Amino acid sequence: MFPSSCQDHGRWRCLVSNGIIANDAERLREELAFTDSMIPSRIAADPEIVENGLAKLVLSIIELIRRLLEKQALRRMDAGNLSEEEIERLGTALMKLEEKMNELKGTFGLSDADLNLKLGPVKMWE
Amino acid sequence: MPEDLEELSLLETLDHLLDRGVVIAGDAVISIGDVDLLYLGLNIVLANVDAIIRTGQK
Amino acid sequence: MKWVVIGAHLLRDDIDTPAEPIAAGDLFLSGLPIPDEQPLGDRDLLLRVARVRAALLDRATFIAVRYGFAINTHEEAAAKCSPHLARWRENLERHRLEVEMTLKVVAAERVEPPHRRDFTSGGDYLKALHAATKAVQVDPKFREDAERLLANGRWQHRDNQSLELAALVARESVEKVKYEAIALKERFPHVPFLLSGPWPLEVFGE
Repeated sequence: MFPSSCQDHGRWRCLVSNGIIANDAERLREELAFTDSMIPSRIAADPEIVENGLAKLVLSIIELIRRLLEKQALRRMDAGNLSEEEIERLGTALMKLEEKMNELKGTFGLSDADLNLKLGPVKMWE
Repeated sequence: MPEDLEELSLLETLDHLLDRGVVIAGDAVISIGDVDLLYLGLNIVLANVDAIIRTGQK
Repeated sequence: MKWVVIGAHLLRDDIDTPAEPIAAGDLFLSGLPIPDEQPLGDRDLLLRVARVRAALLDRATFIAVRYGFAINTHEEAAAKCSPHLARWRENLERHRLEVEMTLKVVAAERVEPPHRRDFTSGGDYLKALHAATKAVQVDPKFREDAERLLANGRWQHRDNQSLELAALVARESVEKVKYEAIALKERFPHVPFLLSGPWPLEVFGE
């Protein structure tokens, strides 16, 4: 693909398969948190969501918002551009969201497994 | 190429597509299955989470 | 008709079909035209965009725009990007001949995240959450070798069980880096890691 300065270019090609070098593919697959593990292929409407109703839908959305907030908050912590007040506000918001989620899960008798919280079928695009 | 390596390669490609890159508008679209359901003005969400939670409690 | 924006490019010529050039200041965004009713969360579309991204990278390095930014008019794109253009131009000129590569490595131990109930202060909770992601560590010998493989890289703590090193690599050195990663595999058979690339400017795009 790119011009290579090495004369052994051909030899390298057969060692390098499809662009990634991976040690212990199986363990990587289990341990790394990939963004997508369940992007659905074309389905008109997810029957599971329709069956279990609005509660599941709403809770999944709240959980995604919480996760997105958490990620953004951590990114900004990394960047170090938050005031003490903002850190307090964001942290409190995250705690409240989590508290609310637990409350609502209890109310509707839904577990994490029910909400299919492992990434989908609800997806959020930034 | 072995199957698990191929799957890993695909996941890695999608990860780089979905979880990197510059955020331009700071907005979010929530999709469920195939349907783009909700469009969120993310700045609004971040600033008013407290208000949203309080509203939800009413 | 709408467009999914893929990247920010220095030259109009850096963009080829099926992507279309969208003028933004004196830079160009690449947009993939899609029907208005096409949902973004579609697997086939994602794979298509991934393929177009790779093809665009073949032509020239660009700044990756996070997936999900879709526009209805060209003017909309230009307007939303205007605060970033000067910075992007500088970046694109500086790294014209480079691409990004990343090395993901699984941590030796998973770090337990803090529990909400242990905290009364939101600020303390968030700081503890942040500290937990930072606490993820890998074998220092491996880390040293990885930093030699991908020089001048940035370590990212994206979750509580792995680390990621992202670095810029000269285009003509990509194959060499991959070859050296195979040797890294042999030196550290018990450290699960994944080297991937080339990628457009992602971490280094900001």
